Amino acid sequence: MNGRAWLSPGLLLAAPVLFFAAFFLAPLAVVALASITGGPEGMTLTLQQYVRVLADQYHWDVILVTFRLAFFTTVVCVILGYPLAWYLVRVVRWQAWRRFCVILLVVPLFTSNIVRAFGWMVLLGRNGLVNQALVGAGMADRPVRFIGTELGILIGMVYVLLPFVVLAVGNALARVDPGCEQASADLGASPASTFFHITWPLTLPGVVSGAIIVFTLAVSAYVTPALLSGGRISVLSMLIFQQYSSVFDFHYGGALSMVLLVFTLILVALANRAAVLPGAAR
Amino acid sequence: MSTLLTIEGVSMRFGAYQALDRIDLDIQQGEFVALLGPSGCGKTTLLRSIAGFLKPESGRILIDGQDISRLAAHHRPLNTVFQNYALFPHMTVSENVAYGPRRQGASKTEAAERARAALDMVGLADFGPRYPREMSGGQQQRVALARAIVNRPKLLLLDEPLSALDLKLRKRMQLELKHLQAKLGIAFIFVTHDQEEAMTMADRVVVMHAGRIEQVGAGTDIYRQPATRFVAEFIGDANFISFTALDGDTLQLDTQGLRVPFGKPAPARGVAVLRPEDLRLRGEAATDTWTGAVTDVINVGSHSMIHVDLGGQIIVARHGGIAPTGLRPGATVHLAFEPEHLHLIGEQP
Repeated sequence: MNGRAWLSPGLLLAAPVLFFAAFFLAPLAVVALASITGGPEGMTLTLQQYVRVLADQYHWDVILVTFRLAFFTTVVCVILGYPLAWYLVRVVRWQAWRRFCVILLVVPLFTSNIVRAFGWMVLLGRNGLVNQALVGAGMADRPVRFIGTELGILIGMVYVLLPFVVLAVGNALARVDPGCEQASADLGASPASTFFHITWPLTLPGVVSGAIIVFTLAVSAYVTPALLSGGRISVLSMLIFQQYSSVFDFHYGGALSMVLLVFTLILVALANRAAVLPGAAR
Repeated sequence: MSTLLTIEGVSMRFGAYQALDRIDLDIQQGEFVALLGPSGCGKTTLLRSIAGFLKPESGRILIDGQDISRLAAHHRPLNTVFQNYALFPHMTVSENVAYGPRRQGASKTEAAERARAALDMVGLADFGPRYPREMSGGQQQRVALARAIVNRPKLLLLDEPLSALDLKLRKRMQLELKHLQAKLGIAFIFVTHDQEEAMTMADRVVVMHAGRIEQVGAGTDIYRQPATRFVAEFIGDANFISFTALDGDTLQLDTQGLRVPFGKPAPARGVAVLRPEDLRLRGEAATDTWTGAVTDVINVGSHSMIHVDLGGQIIVARHGGIAPTGLRPGATVHLAFEPEHLHLIGEQP
């Protein structure tokens, strides 16, 4: 009994570790390996694919579009998500209404991305509801072009990813000790000053973690940009998809994937550093 | 001394629950006042109303004659020490303390200088660069205190600031707070449910019960002359003996039908409060003693409490030092007292 007791934690851990290795580590290794090999047999080591990716101005343009879209998606999500989270956590006093709002926020996550993107295509189209409203209200002379523009993709992505920021920030807001905000007011700080000096810094880790989730999902998003781009705009995930599904060039697709991964990791690492709060438990 | 704070007819209701019921109270410049009462009596609600975190439904609160009832918390000329300290976790100790002066418009260097002086005053001069979570509960308490006094308010509100500390530290902090208060000359309003704490520190004790003020006075006066049965019960230990006043300055006590002379005017009927330390143990019976059987002997060390059954009513007597060995449950004892130690509370109509 005693001699075997130490075994059980190891056994319990074996399954998740194996799962992790088989479905997370191995695919990544396959992609990474494919990106640095080439030649007729596909077995010689070469950096040729990376040269092909990075030496081509076209790729830099796509990378720029991808990260610009992800950046603005993140910014808009935070700008819209923070007040929304504030409303849910601080303003709503009625528990049932708050629960309803959270369900409303989360339910779209259960629907297929494709369905939602098609929904936006209909709404944002030339004769869609949005344009009818804009023209009808006299805010535009003729229908605004959304489909095939970065603005259209941005709208679709913000819609899909907003709940992640609201949930992360809401969680952070609920954890802020109301005593700290009262103490700030007690010491003579105006509500704006209290928000700036106390609430915002204390919720910053939640903002950053929500932003990182949104950003990573946005740079790798495929369905929403593909459907709303109208074939006019390309993001990295669309190039990667082409290489894997139509061209079958796994080496080139692998290199594109690795470029996306490395750029994303660098930005996430930078954001993570900004989220470390002084005085927090390390 | 002049009046610093005036509370006029302040009422507050949470749903069906009357938290404050027409409270009137004056607090003098530089006074140390304790708001004392059991949990739910309204003492914290009153404190939070003064601080501006709660808006009373009616009544006025004035500081130096100026009505502050409508002022937001950040415009009120007072500071608060919170029960759980509410230190800013993302700031160092000196940043925490400098926060007040900074918000009042002091320059960075001036605020830092004032923070250093305030920390020095609470004995934490070397702790400025630390973060709150790196400090013990007692040290955090001092930081909260330094942060609250750094702006030199005229009035400091303290919401059970010592309740999280262990007994020894609490006793030390009580005296330190009292000395600090005397040194600063700031009026303190101190909320507590601990009557010993209130008696130790406060010039005046305000006993609250069910949203009302039961009695206001010096701790010793409240102990000696409790205005109501609630006050007598809440402050220290008390025996209650029902009485009827007879002609000729005599009280007829219900307990064992004892008659005692009473020189002062007495209400027709009511209860008499008799503190345990005013009861004496006697070896033999007399006309002015009670006789009963000991039910419990509680030795605390410095004194002992002897519970005596006087035929249906348990009376508690205090005995200095450890109880004699002969005093065991079941033993027969006789209790004597001076009639002048009876404090009479008339029956409320």
